[in-house]
Amino acid sequence: MGGTSSKLPKDLLSEYQELTFLTKQEILLAHKIFSELQGRENGPYGSRVSMEKVLTLPELKSNPFRKRICHVFSTSDMKDGSLSFEDFLDLLSAFSDSATLEIKSHYAFRIFDFDDDGTLDGRDLEKLVNCLTGETDDTRLTAEEMRQLISNILEESDIDKDGTVNLSEFQHVISRSPDFVSSFKIVL
Amino acid sequence: MRRMSVFPQHGRALGNLGLSANEIQQEVENKTSELVSDLVNLSARARFQAIRSLPMAFDERKRMRNRVNSVKHSKTIIPANCRQQVSRSFRRFRAGLASAHRYLTIWHDTLKDIGGRFGTSVLSYFLFLKWLLKFNLFSLIINFCFITIPQIVHAPNISSVTGFRGLELLTGVGHFNQTVLYYGGYNGEVIASKPVYNMQLAYFFTIAAYLVLCGVSLIYSMSRSFQKNFVLETGPVSGGAWRLLCSWDFSVVNEKAIQYNKNNLAVQLKESLSERLQEKDKMSLSDRIKHLSLNILAWLISLGLAVGCSAGIYFLGTDQELAFSFNHNPNDLTAEASTLLLPVVVSLINLIVPLLYSLISKMESYSNPRAKIYIIIVRNIVLKMSILGILCSYWLNIVPEKVSCWESFVGQSVYRLLIFDFIFCLFGIFYGEFLLNVIGTTCIQSLGVPEFDIARNVLDLIYAQTLAWIGIYFSPLLPVIQVLKLFIIFYLKKISLSMNCQPPKHSGRAAQIQTVFIALLFFPSFVGALSMVSFTVWSLKPSDECGPFQGLDTPFHTIFNWTASIQGPPETNWVWWIFENVLRSELFYYLISLIILVITYFLWQITQGRKQLIKILRQQIVNEGKDKAFLLNKMQNLQKQRRESVSYSPQDYDQTPHFNPNWMNTLPLDM
Repeated sequence: MGGTSSKLPKDLLSEYQELTFLTKQEILLAHKIFSELQGRENGPYGSRVSMEKVLTLPELKSNPFRKRICHVFSTSDMKDGSLSFEDFLDLLSAFSDSATLEIKSHYAFRIFDFDDDGTLDGRDLEKLVNCLTGETDDTRLTAEEMRQLISNILEESDIDKDGTVNLSEFQHVISRSPDFVSSFKIVL
Repeated sequence: MRRMSVFPQHGRALGNLGLSANEIQQEVENKTSELVSDLVNLSARARFQAIRSLPMAFDERKRMRNRVNSVKHSKTIIPANCRQQVSRSFRRFRAGLASAHRYLTIWHDTLKDIGGRFGTSVLSYFLFLKWLLKFNLFSLIINFCFITIPQIVHAPNISSVTGFRGLELLTGVGHFNQTVLYYGGYNGEVIASKPVYNMQLAYFFTIAAYLVLCGVSLIYSMSRSFQKNFVLETGPVSGGAWRLLCSWDFSVVNEKAIQYNKNNLAVQLKESLSERLQEKDKMSLSDRIKHLSLNILAWLISLGLAVGCSAGIYFLGTDQELAFSFNHNPNDLTAEASTLLLPVVVSLINLIVPLLYSLISKMESYSNPRAKIYIIIVRNIVLKMSILGILCSYWLNIVPEKVSCWESFVGQSVYRLLIFDFIFCLFGIFYGEFLLNVIGTTCIQSLGVPEFDIARNVLDLIYAQTLAWIGIYFSPLLPVIQVLKLFIIFYLKKISLSMNCQPPKHSGRAAQIQTVFIALLFFPSFVGALSMVSFTVWSLKPSDECGPFQGLDTPFHTIFNWTASIQGPPETNWVWWIFENVLRSELFYYLISLIILVITYFLWQITQGRKQLIKILRQQIVNEGKDKAFLLNKMQNLQKQRRESVSYSPQDYDQTPHFNPNWMNTLPLDM
């Protein structure tokens, strides 16, 4: 049991192809990997995989945003970050090569929004910078540098001058960084 | 396209407005039905793409798609069945093509691995290499099919064949001399087969078609890259902090690499912060003069080095004994070996002088680290192009008078240069990267592991490709060497990268540097090679004893002969007419240039107008923000009054307005 040898039915496969940006090979590979993750849990097909299991994947293991990614893509009612197969496909689709800039920037915004309130305020930005600059003392920014950095960021991107960055402002900034599309990618 | 993207989870933010649950549901339902009606009106393909792009969870997308399909089916009339089947099969065919294309791309896993461990900027070097490989493979295939095979099949007449000695691989002469490797191995006869195959025209048109296709492809890539990467930069000072944050590379999976990237990012952020602070204190006048004079001195030294090297190569090349002794005594081994001196010197210069340039640039200081990279690139390009320019002018002006089969001579020189460039590249990998790594880790710890210098490696690739393009006319099978070379270099660089190097520290703006590299590949490199080949074809007299254009005044006269031959029969007369009166008249080109200039001026004016518009729109957004704040205040007051006035009646509020001071940011801007 556990679904390690179950094949994906053809109609499901074409539906997944229609509704996500993934190609057939990518969907089959995702199915294989997801079945392996499930296999260890011995649950029925179609059940969710807990966040800890998902985070053992090599592509997510060392990613600084791994927990946020699981929370954002999870549709579980218990808000525990567990992923069903469709959530997993959503994740791969948003991070795939052919996803549009809009999808990527939408999900990037949600990943960076640590407190899930729909905007990036100073606290979110501080957590974002700390996530990306490492934990050791010599790489961490001092409080003064952090303050200066956040005010620079807000000056650069807060168009309506309300002290936070909302989705439209974030997408505007993203459209000016041509490196974003090629770096916001996870490939199995 | 209307976006439902603002609400992180449907309608939750609306709860902060103090609306009841029913009103929220109504609002969400309205938005959904508007979205569905938008989607129904799109074409099938656009609809699929739009549904995929909806930022919702999978189940909700499925529900949306089912709703759209049911609306669509209730609207359509009957014979859609056939159309639907055709469009469905077409879609499946396209998907099949896309997956087949994946099988054909070589090195897919290797490139993914490199990107995962070293990031996208190092990956861009390898992608550039792959792109150049495609150019050379294409050239190889068409040259082989259209020129070489007919020549081989038609029994080439080789005058003297010397035995194969090992030295040929390096010098390209001897056994290879009269083979189809070089221009001299072809003769311009008209092969009398069923459709008459004119070797002269075939040679000319194959090379011309290939160069034109290269040019078009380069211009297309350049313009697309420019459009993507040099977007309009208006608005407040772009300090680059966002750029750094948003370019976090999610595809890197190696833990050490991620830690490395984090450290780099921290360093870059601190640097950009200190830069911003520094901009505020202006430099004193004496400091500025000092910096300026240092810059000028550095430029003078660099240009002096470039000129000196070019002069040295010129004198070395025109040294009578050295250059032409081999042609006078074809069987003398030492004379043959002496032809190797020039390529060795050129490759040594290409190896050493860029290192000198980077040393010189260390003594200067630039306000902008990006300017530093660009200036180094410019200096290296000046060096390489001046060397190539001297060599070309020597080949085109002096050689035709001295040597009988001069095109083969030029082909052999290019062959030698390419081979030695390859050998020195191997030396560079071994000594440059491997030894430096060993020294850096064991002996002199402060040096550290060498960085993978993307700019220098890409410039080497561009130099080699320029040589290949120059050599195509003189040696049609030269792309073989280039293809083999690129293959081997790919694998060697990958191994060297994993073993010896670390990724570069300043990896920002990778996309813009890519555009610069493509532009460099087009402007001095391709245009230079094209102009040299055009000059040869247009004005130089081809050699009399060998080659397909023997006996003509210039190779271009084949076209004249051909058009004269088709002038007679009336059905091909129009080709001759077009050629004679349109392509050969100067008025045509003046008119075209004028029209292009006018169009460019109009487009530039449109750009200016759009910049104005952006400024105005920004101001409008700021004003709307203020309006929203005002309205929020008013609504707060009204609600307070409403609550107070009904606080006596026993209505249960299932939702007391939980006031989130930032609620107005959760509203879409277009509301």
